[in-house]
Formats: sequence, structure tokens, C-alpha cells
Amino acid sequence: MTLDLSLFNRFAVTKKAGEIIFCEFEPGDAFYLIQSGKVKIVKILGDIEKTIDILQPGEFFGEMALLEEAPRSASVIAMTDVKLLEFNKANFEILMQGNPQIVLNLLKLFAKRIYDQKRRFLILKLDDLQARVADVFLMLDETSGKTADPMDTQRVFPNSVEDIAHWAGLSVQKVSEVLKQFANQRRVEVQQGKIIVRNIMDFTRFVNSKRQKS
Amino acid sequence: MPKATQFKANSVIYFQGDLGDKIFILKAGKVLLRSQDIETGEEIKELIATGEFFGVKSALGKYPRDETALVLSDADVLLFNVPEFEQLVLSNTRIIMKMLKVFSNQLRHIHGKVQNLISNTEQADPETGLYSIGEYYFNNRQYKQAVYAFSRYLTYYPSGRFASNAASHLDQAEGGVAKTDSSALFAAAGAPTGGGRPTVADGRDLQAAKGFFEAVSLANQEKYADALKIFQRLVSSNADPEHSAKAEFEVGRCLVMTSHYDEAIRHLTAVIQKYPKHPDLKDALYFIGRSYQGKNDFTWARNFYQKILGLAGEDEPVAVKTRRALRELEGTPS
Repeated sequence: MTLDLSLFNRFAVTKKAGEIIFCEFEPGDAFYLIQSGKVKIVKILGDIEKTIDILQPGEFFGEMALLEEAPRSASVIAMTDVKLLEFNKANFEILMQGNPQIVLNLLKLFAKRIYDQKRRFLILKLDDLQARVADVFLMLDETSGKTADPMDTQRVFPNSVEDIAHWAGLSVQKVSEVLKQFANQRRVEVQQGKIIVRNIMDFTRFVNSKRQKS
Repeated sequence: MPKATQFKANSVIYFQGDLGDKIFILKAGKVLLRSQDIETGEEIKELIATGEFFGVKSALGKYPRDETALVLSDADVLLFNVPEFEQLVLSNTRIIMKMLKVFSNQLRHIHGKVQNLISNTEQADPETGLYSIGEYYFNNRQYKQAVYAFSRYLTYYPSGRFASNAASHLDQAEGGVAKTDSSALFAAAGAPTGGGRPTVADGRDLQAAKGFFEAVSLANQEKYADALKIFQRLVSSNADPEHSAKAEFEVGRCLVMTSHYDEAIRHLTAVIQKYPKHPDLKDALYFIGRSYQGKNDFTWARNFYQKILGLAGEDEPVAVKTRRALRELEGTPS
């Protein structure tokens, strides 16, 4: 993406590799557009720092600050020296006037986020813990972007128990218990750095049956 | 080019769950969007007004249609693909702003619902959360990140539940950053310069850098008396011009931490006079303040703290520490 951003030099911020741009739980009132360099989005889950995403030039982060001054939901750390543009509600209009394409990109991002949040809501609304964990795998499968052979129902997820716990809104311990039950039923296999679901269609049926009941 | 299309009454433009990349504007007729409330499952019906867009969110976000678009009476519709839509709105930014408002509202709404469910299960409150992030980085010796998290904590929660722990760990983490910086210097000192063989002088610098490194490490383990001895030796031997200013500052810090307040004040005052542009100038002033506070000389302590606040930016760690110290002094005679 090539954008002429020279108009916005007064909003430029630079950070050195390794510097925190903002920290999870901090109140936030600004959002950022990456001009150069890379940042990682991380969360501390239990005893590990989990990288949720890596963002490149042209991408946004912290955009929820436009909507509400809620605590940040993750930390952002510069992976390389980075140049950012920092915007807030007050100077948003200037951004719109100067470069509507950026705001259009933001609109697209919001559309995607609404979908992600709705999906997340459906997971969290399941009272049955087994169903909730199973639905996390369904969500990960839907968003993997891979179109698998419909005959092949086994799925390998490059995720950890902590990841699943994060998405399910459950403790790592709870999720470990559920995965153990699934493993005993031979529906799931937990290995180093990956989790194998034997039959994703089985999980789809299982989740659907629980969702209708609730 | 956008395409004008007619739909008959009772036909369906798209079904919920369909994948589609088209965006529509209603020119005439009646179109109803039908979906379910994700919370209650209740049916939601929304009538599209003439001139209004529909199908935007799923087309832009590239996800399945959320709703079914049902034609109630014969309708004229303009059909756009995503690039055509973009072209249209870029020349009319008011549309973007309007949609952004609608999407923001929806996003805020659903985000709030999700947060509600999460906090029902388990979620640290922001104060505990921020502090534990500092602790995580501190325990993993990622001091730069720890310094950031603890100083933010102390900015937002100056008299919070973890404030005293955060302050003391902030101090130690800052020491840790100094140590990392000096290990970088140490690596540089060890590297042969210009491809020449290491000389005796290089070897001596190396020893000195190593000594400095060790002493900082001792100070971080709160073994201030041991650290003090090494720093003092480094200063008096003057073996390490690279680190001597740093070492002199550290001598002052260790004196304060071992409660040698008078000595600390004398020493740090001399350091400030000798190096008026010392990188740790503000911290030196802070430790002088601490010394006066240690001697129960609150007036002078306050004077020094206030001087720091005049020099330091609001978010600097030293300013955070200083404001905290000033609060400790509240209620003492001035």
C-alpha cells in the first residue's frame, strides 16, 4: 500500500526496537497507523508472553480507542525501530480530510472486528464448557483461511492450551481438564505446540446440539 | 459501473449465511432485512429506507451475510462491487463518516457484550493487570518493558495497592536497564577496534567494564554494601573513564541505600558539580532528596523533589518516583 502521508508528519511518533508502545490494561485514547517497521501484539497469559499478531506498515492498532476509553486489551511492542502516526478522536477529522483512504481502511477493519466479536460472543455464551472449548476450535478453523478437502475432517491447530483458554474465557486449568476429557474420548490429541482435532464435523454437531438447548 | 437491477416482491436478494461481495443501494420499493439478536435469538426486522446502503459490512469484511434481504414490494436496486463502492465513497467522504459511526456503534455494542461475559468468568481488574505485567517482565529480566509497565502503573495508581512494590521494582528494573546497557558497552569494549590486536589498555578497560557490570548486578540484588566497595574502587583507580561518571553516581545511590545519608549528600552534590550534564542528574537529585528524607529533614527533601518535577517530563520514571515520595511527605512539617 502506498499512501502519501507527508501531510501527517506532526502526528509521527518513533519507537526503538523492544520499546512498549502501550501496555495491556492502560487506559487508551490514541490509535496508531504503522508507517515503517513492525510491531507485535502480545498478551501475558499465565507465565508466557503470547504473540497474538504481528503488524506491518499500513496496518492499524489501538483503534478501539476511537470508540471508548477502555483499558487496552493487549500490549504492543516494537519489533524493529518503528515510525507510527498517532491519532485520537480530536484530530481524526484532519485524517479524514487529508486521506480518506485510510479512514476507508479503518471502516473495513471495523467490519471485520464486528464479525470477530460476534463470533467470540457466540463462544462465550455457551454454558457447557466442553462445547465452549470445541467451539473455539471451530472458530479457529473458520478463520484459518484454509479451504480443506471436505473429506478430510482431521484438523491440526498450531495453538497452545493457553490460546484456547484465552478465546474460551476460561482458566488454563479448566481448559486442560476439558482437553483431557476429549483426549480420553479420543476426539483430541494435545502435542507439543499443537492440538489435533480428530473430526471437526463431530465438533460442529456437538456445538450445534448444545447451542440449540441453551 | 454499478448495475441497476429490479427485484420482484417476495423475492430474496441474499440469504443469511451467503457469501457475497456486492453492496446495494435501494432506489425504489421496499426491502426488509431479517436477522436474529445474538443474545436472545429474537427476530430483528429492519426496513431499508430509499437511498440507503445495505450489505456493506459483510462485503467489506469478507464474511457471510448476517441477515436475509427480503423484497416486500417491487424494488429498484443499484449494485456495486467493492472497488466501485470505494470509488463512490472516496469522492463523498460524508458517507464514510456516517458508516463509520454506524459501525462504531455496533462494534462498541458487541464489544461491551463480550467484555461483560469475560468479566463474568475471569479477568484481572486493570490495576492488578497492569502491575502483573510489570512483574512478568521484571521476573523475566526484560527490564525495559518492566520499567515501562511499572512507571505507567505508578502514574495511574500512585497510591494503589501495589504502589510500594511497583516503586521498588521500578528502581531495580532501572538498574537492570543500566546493566544491560553496560553489557552492550562491555561487548563493545571487548571487540577489537580497527582490526588491531587487543592492547594492554584494552585489557584494562575490559577488566574495569567487567567490574562495573558486576557491581551493578550486586546493587540489583540489593547487596549495596558490596556494590559500593567495587564502585568506589573503580572511581578511585580511574581505570574506566567510560564508566567513571556512571560509577560515581552509583556510589551515591549505594550510600543512600546503606543509609549513609550525610556522605551520600556530600558525594552526590560533588557529582552534580563535576558533571552538570550527567545523564542521571535527575536521579542524583532524587537520591539527595531521599537522603534528606532519611535524615528527617523534610523541608530540604521537599525542595529537591520539587526541583526534579521542574526538570523532568511528567511521564519520566524519576518524576513518577518523585511524586510518590512527595506524597509520603504529606503531613510532615514543612
